[in-house]
Amino acid sequence: MDCKEAVAKLYLYLDGEVLTPQERKEIEEHLKLCRKCCEKFEFERNLWNIIKAKCLDTPVPSTLISKVVSVINSF
Amino acid sequence: MLKTKDEQKKLYQELLLPELGALFRTALRMTRNREDAEDLVQETITKAFAAIERFEKGTNFRAWIFKILTNTFINNYYRVRERDKLPSLDEMEEETSFQPAFEGISPEQALLNTLTKEDIQNAIDNIPIEFKSVVVLTLVEGFSYKETADILDIPIGTVMSRLYRGRKILQNILWEYSSQKNSIEKGTNEEWTAKKQ
Repeated sequence: MDCKEAVAKLYLYLDGEVLTPQERKEIEEHLKLCRKCCEKFEFERNLWNIIKAKCLDTPVPSTLISKVVSVINSF
Repeated sequence: MLKTKDEQKKLYQELLLPELGALFRTALRMTRNREDAEDLVQETITKAFAAIERFEKGTNFRAWIFKILTNTFINNYYRVRERDKLPSLDEMEEETSFQPAFEGISPEQALLNTLTKEDIQNAIDNIPIEFKSVVVLTLVEGFSYKETADILDIPIGTVMSRLYRGRKILQNILWEYSSQKNSIEKGTNEEWTAKKQ
């Protein structure tokens, strides 16, 4: 696998999507040999992990919990 | 099929409560407003309970209720004029050609170091809705491409292309935030602004 192919599959790889075990293995082997791609993959992985973590850090307001309980009780 | 209303209510509560946080987060990113987000979640919960008989036990409740949330948002909350407030897509997708230099660390590391929760949430809020919904469902809430396609009623290829473009738009906005912050810290904001123009 060359850099172009690896980068084309970057997001599928990071998202754990639709790649065969063989394709994943080829990407991992390429990353061991190519520092530039390895850095790119690491950056993208870190960036999306940070984005996810900061978005998940949104507490449910207590007002909403009260509303939900009241709605469910009314059914 | 559940027989009594009490059984339905019990199952519903068991399935719903663990998803409340995710529903609220997604509603908040879509409506960009806490009050509307609470109303959207409340409306979703009411609609979902009214349709609970059609939900098959053992199937994907999470995807099912998110589909109700996104449909309710599109039908009742999304205004076409919202798009007018956003910069053009071409402008948003334009590749960032200039990345300022940072002393001792790479621009990538500087970006990762400076991003705050507010930066990220503001950036997501400013993505057009068709890209934002895919980004939030897939990258934040962890739905697979296939589940996201089912929730939004679009082909999986469309999920992939919107996700790709949504990522690029979001990254461009974040690069801009990071560059501005780092330039300000170094007192080179004018230089950065000049280069961007």
